[in-house]
Amino acid sequence: MKSHQNFGQQLLKSLKDWARVSSPWVLHFNTGSCNGCDIEILATLTPRYDLERLGVKLQASPRQADILLCTGPVTRQARERLVRIYAQMPEPKYVVAIGSCAISGGVFRGCYNVMDGIDQVIPVSAYIPGCPPRPEAVIDGLVKVLASIHSPGHKIPSDILEGALDPEKVAA
Amino acid sequence: MNWFFVLLSLMVFPGGLFLLAGGMAYEWVDRKMLAVFQNRAGPRWFQPLADTVKLLIKEEIIPDKVNEILFIGLPIAALAGGLTAALYVPVAGLTPVYSFPGDLIVTLYLLSLLTLCMGLAGANTLDRFSLIGATRTLTQVFSYEAPFLLAMLGPALVAGSWQISDINAYAGGHWLILTQPVGFIVAVIGFMGKLVMPPFDAPEAHTEIGAGALTEYSGRGLAFFHLAKAVELIVGLSLVSAFYLGGLANPLEFLVKTLALLFVLIGLQSLLTRMRIDQTVGMWWRYGTLVVLAQWLVIILVMRP
Ligand code: SF4
Repeated sequence: MKSHQNFGQQLLKSLKDWARVSSPWVLHFNTGSCNGCDIEILATLTPRYDLERLGVKLQASPRQADILLCTGPVTRQARERLVRIYAQMPEPKYVVAIGSCAISGGVFRGCYNVMDGIDQVIPVSAYIPGCPPRPEAVIDGLVKVLASIHSPGHKIPSDILEGALDPEKVAA
Repeated sequence: MNWFFVLLSLMVFPGGLFLLAGGMAYEWVDRKMLAVFQNRAGPRWFQPLADTVKLLIKEEIIPDKVNEILFIGLPIAALAGGLTAALYVPVAGLTPVYSFPGDLIVTLYLLSLLTLCMGLAGANTLDRFSLIGATRTLTQVFSYEAPFLLAMLGPALVAGSWQISDINAYAGGHWLILTQPVGFIVAVIGFMGKLVMPPFDAPEAHTEIGAGALTEYSGRGLAFFHLAKAVELIVGLSLVSAFYLGGLANPLEFLVKTLALLFVLIGLQSLLTRMRIDQTVGMWWRYGTLVVLAQWLVIILVMRP
């Protein structure tokens, strides 16, 4: 009896995983990059690399996106918006940091107006290094995120989110 | 055992499951061929199914300050409208499950339920993109609906009946695309407007207004709207090809004629660029309606005994 239930749950879980892996819809947000990374993302979406063969679709509304592609060090102005967009996305959601700036702040590291990387603000599932990364690297990173969907352990540290949404702390 | 067959025809074939599967298959053909025309590889064959399943298991966010009953109910109403319309249409080349004199009018109204629901859904949320999307959606309904209706009534006029199965049988002997070319063109273009395909995709222009009227929809609601659109694609294709392309008498004819019509639509989609909403309205009311009315006049004059 129990093994039947387990089998059913397994089947359901593999169906869910399959659907999530096969249909990642992405949202692109520039958190203060120099536009180099953004142009590479656009190049990735062009017919030459055609991400639709992996099921990737560029969405314009955060409500319909599964993966948030972020570029650039988070400037203090973009921070609040980044958090709001992240909060607007429905679960399950993943964040990919694209480019050296998004990983660590890159050439802007230590500047008075930047936060030194996406993961200072919201949890990140994958990092794609490069300045800017080539489209092949972006595709590779996306595939790795999709592979990680199969493995458990994707959690939101709620304290990061709560602190970030607090307007007083944002202003600080 | 009567109720069993009723249930079967509603839930599995030719209603319900068959329609959903067929709709997704046609949606895939649409996306794949569009990709081929644009020199791309295109989506894999199960893409619409994966999209739907993923949306169904995704979290559904109900935004603040919306009417929750409407927010949840509108997608269901849209899907139900599309599925009901299919019962009166010779989908898969079979005789319609239900049929009564005047079912053409009912079907056309059921088909516009999807657009109305989308407009209401956009107007229901506070988001500015969905409000603009809703305005454009409803404007577009009022521009293409009248010419489309008139174009679909042309065959009814010559067949002397407002029952879809009668018109289908009459069209079997007469290729109405030859005798009423204007009506065919208006019907095809009106159908593209109905499905918000390019060049009539101003209501959901991603580059301008987010996802249009559906900007706030995330999980199940979005999946239902997508499914409703897929079902409407297959129902509308079979309606237009039954009326103008010599009727649908068997499944093979259905497949050949609807796919041929779909290829025409895909070609037009990849050729044309998006029209502004005022251009859409102007085109339909200045030219579309007038040419169909002129054709009506010709039909009536020629048919006068
Ligand atoms: S990683 Fe390089 S290309 Fe990308 S935003 Fe930073 S400086 Fe620009």
